[in-house]
Amino acid sequence: MALFPLTSNFEGDFVLQLLAVDSENTMDEVAAAAAVHSVGRRVRARPGQLMRVRRQGSEDFLPRSMRVSESGLKPTETIEIIWEAPKH
Amino acid sequence: MAVLNRMDWYDLARTTNWTPKYVTEDELFPPLMSGAFGLPQNAWEKYDEPYKQTYPEYVKVQRDKDAGAYSVKAALERSRIFENADPGWKSVMKAHYGAIARGEYAAASAEARMMRFSKAPGMRNMSTLGCLDEVRHGQMQLYFPHEHVSKDRQMDWAFKAYDTNEWGMIAARHFFDDIMMTRDAISVSIMLTFSFETGFTNMQFLGLAADAAEAGDHTFANLISSIQTDESRHAQIGGPALKVLIENGQKAEAQKRVDIAVWGAWKLFSVLTGPIMDYYTPLEHRKQSFKEFMEEWIVAQFERALTDMGLDLPWYWDIFLKDIAQTHHGMHMGSYFWRPTVWWNPAAGVTPDERAWLEEKYPGWNETWGECWDVIIDNVVDGNMAMTYPETLPYVCNMCQLPILGTPGKGWNVKDYPLEYNGRLYHFGSEVDRWCFEQEPERYAGHLSIVDRFLAGMIQPMNLGGALNYMNIAPGECGDDAHNYAWAEVYRAMRAAKKAS
Repeated sequence: MALFPLTSNFEGDFVLQLLAVDSENTMDEVAAAAAVHSVGRRVRARPGQLMRVRRQGSEDFLPRSMRVSESGLKPTETIEIIWEAPKH
Repeated sequence: MAVLNRMDWYDLARTTNWTPKYVTEDELFPPLMSGAFGLPQNAWEKYDEPYKQTYPEYVKVQRDKDAGAYSVKAALERSRIFENADPGWKSVMKAHYGAIARGEYAAASAEARMMRFSKAPGMRNMSTLGCLDEVRHGQMQLYFPHEHVSKDRQMDWAFKAYDTNEWGMIAARHFFDDIMMTRDAISVSIMLTFSFETGFTNMQFLGLAADAAEAGDHTFANLISSIQTDESRHAQIGGPALKVLIENGQKAEAQKRVDIAVWGAWKLFSVLTGPIMDYYTPLEHRKQSFKEFMEEWIVAQFERALTDMGLDLPWYWDIFLKDIAQTHHGMHMGSYFWRPTVWWNPAAGVTPDERAWLEEKYPGWNETWGECWDVIIDNVVDGNMAMTYPETLPYVCNMCQLPILGTPGKGWNVKDYPLEYNGRLYHFGSEVDRWCFEQEPERYAGHLSIVDRFLAGMIQPMNLGGALNYMNIAPGECGDDAHNYAWAEVYRAMRAAKKAS
């Protein structure tokens, strides 16, 4: 349990933002924390869609239940939070 | 007694280089301060300034200029222009004075370095006058806003801004420290006078003078036109130095300095001038969009200045041409959304009419920047004000110290340009910012951005109050919407009409 700073790059928003999470947060929790600073402020919510986390430059999302401490992310590294439509 | 024509004696009189007998040339002109680029003193004697002026001529002309600007101010002091001006225009003045006035004073020291340490006699003479110019600019741009301090506390930032850790001022200081306070005489001439002044102060001073006259603020228009006439003279100090460097095989070093300074200047103007021209200036008073102004004054004229000099366009010119239609929209949204952290009141500038203008000038604005503004506007109309403010810091660039941003909405292209150096992860707003850092990493590596300072625990408590305190923003000085959200009424009416139909 430790405070862990990341840099949030939220899909549709215009700026990178400092994001304080906990090293034991899951990627779903990280995405929700990032959304606090973008969704409803400058980005419209997309009901029914998931918010997924990936490293900048990667096409692959990190597993939703993966913890920050297991992800290999470095402090202040930039993550992208991407909307994902539900799979049918 | 007959007096010789100036040109009959000028060259001889300013040929003040001599051969030192009691000290070495390096002691007389320490390379660190002189920036000799390995060239002997006689190479610099070929420096030929295009604008030759003597001290008596200078004093006479400057006296007339001062008389003009100060008498317009005196004549209009009772005109209540300030009281009656559009709040957006007041913000233009506040942003300008705070960002510029004390920087002018600092520039006097940079000019003084050229005056003392340049090996080129012509440069020493021109910068003597340039130094006096900068003292004049500092004094005027502190004196003129002072009459408004008693009416509006934010006007005090004309003097105060430079001493604070306000984020925009950290950015301004970082840039000016880099190009003029910590460089040798020759580099100052290239980076401050040629790159920044020839390239960019035209933007701030000519464009703004036109907007000021349109807005009816003739005092401000006269002031900055008066300053611009000095700029256009002393901005020519760098050109002949570039010529000497190029003739002596130093083009690559000269080009690198131009490229670094032009990029930094561009970033600073994207946050200072871009929002002013495209959002703060009342719609009916806008002459040109920021992009149009940039294309006319920078792309057309500065390109010519570079190529005439024998330099290349900066390697990033294509990136720059793309950015002039984008970056300042983000800088505006950033300074609006984080408005408590600036010393002026940002005008939103997004009524339906203003948006139509933005869409016309920047096709696609509505589906990119407009998408973010739609959310902000809905929150204002709904009275959901808490959501129109931030709860964290924007991540800022370790080079330009400004928020790392890009185009939002359907054109989303926001990206970080990271670099790990000596075990520390740095973040940059563009490939060019990162390139500037990489040219001399040790020069910049130790600097802490406002975010780095926050993470290091230097800002306490770690909330907005702590941040405002750290930035020296006192109660009554925080920025808020310039028009107190009156612009949202039209959206409220549109919503009511839609409901009724």
